Amino acid sequence: MKDKIFRDILPNVSKPARYTGSEVNIIKKDWNRSRIKMAFAFPDVYEVGMSHVGSKILYGLINEKSDHLLERVYAPWPDMERELRRHEIPLFALESFRPLSEFDVIGFTLQYELAITNVLNMLDMAGIPLWSKDRHEQFPLVIAGGPVVFNPEPYADFIDVFLLGDGEEVLTEFLDCCWDNQHLKRQDRLLKLASIEGIYVPSLYNVKYNEDRTFSQITPLIASVPHTIKKRVVIDLDNAYFPDKPVLPYMTIVHDRAVLEVMRGCQRGCRFCHAGMVYRPVRERSIETLKRQADQQLASTGYDEIGLTSLSTLDYSGVDSLVKDLVKKYREQGTGVSLPSLRVDAFSIELANEVQKVRKTTLTLAPEAGTQRMRDMINKNVTEEQLLEAVKAAFKSGWLSIKLYFMDGLPGETDADLEGILDLLKKVRTLGDEHARKKVEIRASIASFVPKAHTPFQWQRQNTIQELEEKRRVLTRSKMKRIRMSFHDSRTSFLEGVLSRGDRRLAVPIHLAWQKGSKFDGWSEYFNFSRWMEAFRDSDIDPDFYTSRLRSYDEILPWDFIDTGVSKAYLQNENEKAAAGITTGDCRWDGCSGCGICPAYEIDLDIKEEIGR
Amino acid sequence: MRLRAEYLVGSDLKFLGNLDMMNLMSRAMRRAGIPFALSEGFNPHIKLSMGTVLPVGVWGDKEYFDLELTQDMDPNEFMKKMNHVLPLEMEIKQCVKIDEKEPALMKIINAASYTFILKLIDHGYFDISDRIMSQNELLVRSRGKQKGIDKDLRPGIFKITVNFQQESVMISIWVNVGEPVNVRYDELLELLEDYGIEREEVVDIFRSGNFIRAGNLFYSPFEKVS
Repeated sequence: MKDKIFRDILPNVSKPARYTGSEVNIIKKDWNRSRIKMAFAFPDVYEVGMSHVGSKILYGLINEKSDHLLERVYAPWPDMERELRRHEIPLFALESFRPLSEFDVIGFTLQYELAITNVLNMLDMAGIPLWSKDRHEQFPLVIAGGPVVFNPEPYADFIDVFLLGDGEEVLTEFLDCCWDNQHLKRQDRLLKLASIEGIYVPSLYNVKYNEDRTFSQITPLIASVPHTIKKRVVIDLDNAYFPDKPVLPYMTIVHDRAVLEVMRGCQRGCRFCHAGMVYRPVRERSIETLKRQADQQLASTGYDEIGLTSLSTLDYSGVDSLVKDLVKKYREQGTGVSLPSLRVDAFSIELANEVQKVRKTTLTLAPEAGTQRMRDMINKNVTEEQLLEAVKAAFKSGWLSIKLYFMDGLPGETDADLEGILDLLKKVRTLGDEHARKKVEIRASIASFVPKAHTPFQWQRQNTIQELEEKRRVLTRSKMKRIRMSFHDSRTSFLEGVLSRGDRRLAVPIHLAWQKGSKFDGWSEYFNFSRWMEAFRDSDIDPDFYTSRLRSYDEILPWDFIDTGVSKAYLQNENEKAAAGITTGDCRWDGCSGCGICPAYEIDLDIKEEIGR
Repeated sequence: MRLRAEYLVGSDLKFLGNLDMMNLMSRAMRRAGIPFALSEGFNPHIKLSMGTVLPVGVWGDKEYFDLELTQDMDPNEFMKKMNHVLPLEMEIKQCVKIDEKEPALMKIINAASYTFILKLIDHGYFDISDRIMSQNELLVRSRGKQKGIDKDLRPGIFKITVNFQQESVMISIWVNVGEPVNVRYDELLELLEDYGIEREEVVDIFRSGNFIRAGNLFYSPFEKVS
């Protein structure tokens, strides 16, 4: 198989190194001596999937710490797909080159709603039926996890089992259960699996809708199946598994560096932020653990850069001394440290300067909104003064280009808020003229707000494509020198909105869209909006029903049965406070905000270092 | 201190681009704890200079790089440490200390040999060298800078050898690298096709050597160091 692929297929495709396997630190376990054989499927191209930290964790965990086997597979780029289909070669995993259908479990991670068409396409390329109900005994179990499945319903007809919450907490248990019950019929095995906390088996539930098309209820078909699914949480992150020998790709990938996950969760409480709500509580790793991990990863990969990752790395209590220690230790070898999007304050800039001693990176700040009123509504606790102070510090210390992230289409947004974005950009440019040694370049990236399930804004209406286009016209009305603006595609945001608050009835249009040729929908060169709209029309589904409707608090939401540990009462209260322009403080220093996560898991905030404001 | 190394790029790695190859080598050096020298500036990199680029899709039996070190290191020790961390299909085969003033590989390598392994079919392979070398002109479609234009390979082809094995035939072609005629392996494939060798017969292609040519003599970059 491998010989044929190397000889007949790879010479004819772009970036063949995506499909060759045999990377440094690859783990090839003995097939016959392994218990459950699982293929970890990332529904996007290799260089994106290989950059995903969660995949690295699960790959190492299962292969190193269990008797099961986990191999990798990524979505083949369309040129590769064409070649594979032409030669009738089924989709294979990179370790053993075995077809996916030979595995016991195919596990997808859904990082992004629109990746679902790639999930279907990969199953199809593997010769596995797309609908869960059509997969009989001999087919692998198809499972899914990741942030998107906190509302699993739109994908429920395609997926046999959903894993909710931190994967490293539940995956081993899941595979053990598969092994222990392999003699059982598929249906009985699913029933066993459904009793594990954090596992949702959609085929064991019945769903009802009201006359007005809203969701009515989801009920277990069998008494022993739980009514609500509680997400799994790694309590002690510091002692949790993290790979010391991640697979080192041969080709350049998106995040091509050693990675330290300094913490998980975020307590800032931005009201639009899905990850900030569903990944609570905050759990940190200790500086000692992280330094040891850095050492081992660098020794096993030879990377020349260490990235500190998390939802808000600058909030990590040990960030200052960790960054300084790492820079000091590895500077001689030319190994640098990189920080993701920075917090908007002068301390961040100081730390960014520290990082610059070794390698130059771009400076990215996320004020998210243009006026104080709007920043208060979304609970982005940043003042204009703080932002300008940070920017000034950056220009003074030699940065010449700054990237700023904003959102438009936020609840209650007016033209004044849009003007606010423009004013802010001009003020930043003026500061550059005053304090930088050369002419500065300002880049603004403007994303459209998409209300997400399990957030305080889950009841809000999303701006229509027309409204967003109009806002874009306002923002680009006059050309501004040395300020470049880029916008997310409003049609992509619309579709994201449909799926993120959708229900099971969306399975039909998703399937139709795939049939019509949709795949790689996250890639603008492949995204085709009219195909999706046709799919909605053909299946008699009105997508606006999911996006542009203001939901009432009484409405039962399709994802209410998924328990993230954050209470619905808190989300509702936050939504009310948003409307009133009242902010909620950071629970690390302003006291408990009552989100409910700590009592739900009987824990306290897990902060490692002393923190001052 | 400066080292020159000869290495193998195996078949599993034949789809790597030049940048991938540089990264692979640099990362292996970091894993092996080699006392490499770094360049100055905002993005410091290891002072590693590779020979001519190995084309994607072709593996290489004798490829070369030079490396600058900050302190002395025994070439054998270097080889041992590197081979310990390199992937299975990559191996340093020779290594010597060279003078700091030795010209760069890129400047001296001016010839290469490509070997085509064919399925042995009852076929007139034995005189293919004569048939090709007796021509005054060998026109193919250029794959290089002037894509699609007719290109005469003849001045860039120095010799052709044919070796018969049990079940296969190895045709090796010694060609010019760089000015005046840079001959690419895919252009050679087209040439072979013109002389009756079908694409499907070619089961493997590799670069069998990189040379410093002086007249009819081909020296390896190891033979030409002072």
